[in-house]
Amino acid sequence: MIAMRRALFSVGIRPHLRWRELGLLTIVALTLVVGWASLQSFRSGQLEMGEASLLFTYLLAIFVIHTAFVITGRRMDEILFPTAAMLAGISLLLMERLPQDLVTQQILGRELGLADVQLAWTLLGFTVLAATAILVRSDGWLRRYKYTWAALGIGLLLLVFVFGEVTGGARLTLVIGPISGQPSELLKVILVVFLAGYLAENRSLLSSASTRVGPFRLPPLPYLLPMLALWGLALAIVIVQRDLGAALLYFLVFLGLLYVATRRASYVVLGLLLFLAGSAVLYLAFPHVQDRVDIWLNPFTDPQGAGYQVIRALYAYGRGGVLGTGLGAGLPQVGSVPSIPAIHTDFIFAALAEEMGMLGALGVLGLYVLIAQRGFRIAATAADDFRALLATGLTLVIVVQAAIIAGGNLRVVPLTGITLPFVSYGGSSLLVNGAVIGLLLALSDRGVEPPPPDQRTSMSSRIGRRARRAGGRLEEALS
Amino acid sequence: MDVFSLSLWGLRILFVVLIYAFFFFVARALWRDLRAGVAGAGRPLARLFVIEAKEGRPEPGTSIPLDAVNSLGRDVNNSIVLDDSFVSADHALLTFRGRAWYVEDRGSTNGTWLNGQKVGALLPLGYGDEVQIGQVRLRLERERGNE
Repeated sequence: MIAMRRALFSVGIRPHLRWRELGLLTIVALTLVVGWASLQSFRSGQLEMGEASLLFTYLLAIFVIHTAFVITGRRMDEILFPTAAMLAGISLLLMERLPQDLVTQQILGRELGLADVQLAWTLLGFTVLAATAILVRSDGWLRRYKYTWAALGIGLLLLVFVFGEVTGGARLTLVIGPISGQPSELLKVILVVFLAGYLAENRSLLSSASTRVGPFRLPPLPYLLPMLALWGLALAIVIVQRDLGAALLYFLVFLGLLYVATRRASYVVLGLLLFLAGSAVLYLAFPHVQDRVDIWLNPFTDPQGAGYQVIRALYAYGRGGVLGTGLGAGLPQVGSVPSIPAIHTDFIFAALAEEMGMLGALGVLGLYVLIAQRGFRIAATAADDFRALLATGLTLVIVVQAAIIAGGNLRVVPLTGITLPFVSYGGSSLLVNGAVIGLLLALSDRGVEPPPPDQRTSMSSRIGRRARRAGGRLEEALS
Repeated sequence: MDVFSLSLWGLRILFVVLIYAFFFFVARALWRDLRAGVAGAGRPLARLFVIEAKEGRPEPGTSIPLDAVNSLGRDVNNSIVLDDSFVSADHALLTFRGRAWYVEDRGSTNGTWLNGQKVGALLPLGYGDEVQIGQVRLRLERERGNE
């Protein structure tokens, strides 16, 4: 043991035990095993685990990642990863439970069903998570090239605007050869990186000045311009892409970051007013926005058509009750048709609430609250403004997205088609959310290299120095 | 109700209970962190017990609470004022760095002594060690309750 430690030390690796994470992962494993047993027992009518290689592959993977964290000696947050592992594990249980032919893929001659594909994506997403957490040792590459990131994001968005394929009424999916993905997932991270860099840079410079338009005091231009730009961007996404969820997410995350950066509630109010104005115009001008709102307010006017999905979800909550029907005992399909369209993606929360009941659904929402607590704590203890804003933004991206889609499922806000992070089926979503948690973990590590002091000198000081030098020479010549 | 449906019901409930157990353990971990933070704040790191002071100030037998950085000397701007004619205005510095206490002399006239040895550069000191400054003898003591 000691010899092994010495060997590791000699190559610069100092293992650091993470008891808290190990304990929490054990509870996660126990929970998932019990859930799996409950599902398989219900199916077969006797107490048994059934064919559980899927579950054990997943459990093996999370403990391997834990070991990787221990061996590399990273002193990161020990609660975030078990929380994500719990969410993704519950997702696997639900995917195993849903009809497997919702998604099929041929890989190496084998036909993979919904749960297998989701497992593959989850493992890939967690690989991204672990790689980001372990390998990111400096944030310079994020903070220095913020305009490059922004350009990349805009480029990605334009690609989708032009070449995107329409799925479910929204232009979301980009297909490049055999690979298809939803760039809006990646775009949210790029947006956060850019905004964190931009706000951190402009925060100290112009926090007091304000723009005056007649009797109104508006935020200073460095805040006002991105606010208007993002507002325009959100409107464009709604109009061109018909992706209400992404637009709402981007704008809310921006307002959250703006508030954290400036501590001015008035900016948020102004942003919300802009949002209301934009929503009103969109509602009046575009039928697809009108549909969404009408379905939200009166789903029962067209129960077999537009309101079908929402009404089915409401029935599902009713069947679930407080304790739920139990995994496998719900009613996700009528014949071979899923009772709620898009139950594995947009309406996964309804499936979850039906089979795990109100308590289970609240538990899952609580997991997002945990992510919020850890994320904001990482932000609060961050070394500087950029890191604090980055951590805040990354946390908001996950939490706000969960709130929007869970709210949509519960008919609290109009339904928009985005994923429930880590739980919904979907490759892009899992990969990107893995990267988000990985980055948060890296930011929570005290060992991550502090940013180098800004070497660039401003134009005015350079001119000043040249002038002084010239003056010095002149004086020498004269004397 | 037969055994099977009863145990299935048990499994269902256990599944949800375990999710909440996860919260319980997280909450306990957070609560412990918080308690450790609260308990650590506002309590002195250690104490200096006054063994002897020839001129009576500070009073022998009392103990002085210590912060992470303590300056000792005759000047009133020191965090610990030693009113003794053999003590320089800015005499010594007693600091807690990481896990250990250190004492250093600040160019005093009569020097600082650690366990009878003259303090030149920065010297580490442990609990129970004796520091002499002028005619004042002090002993570093553990704050009761800190590990």
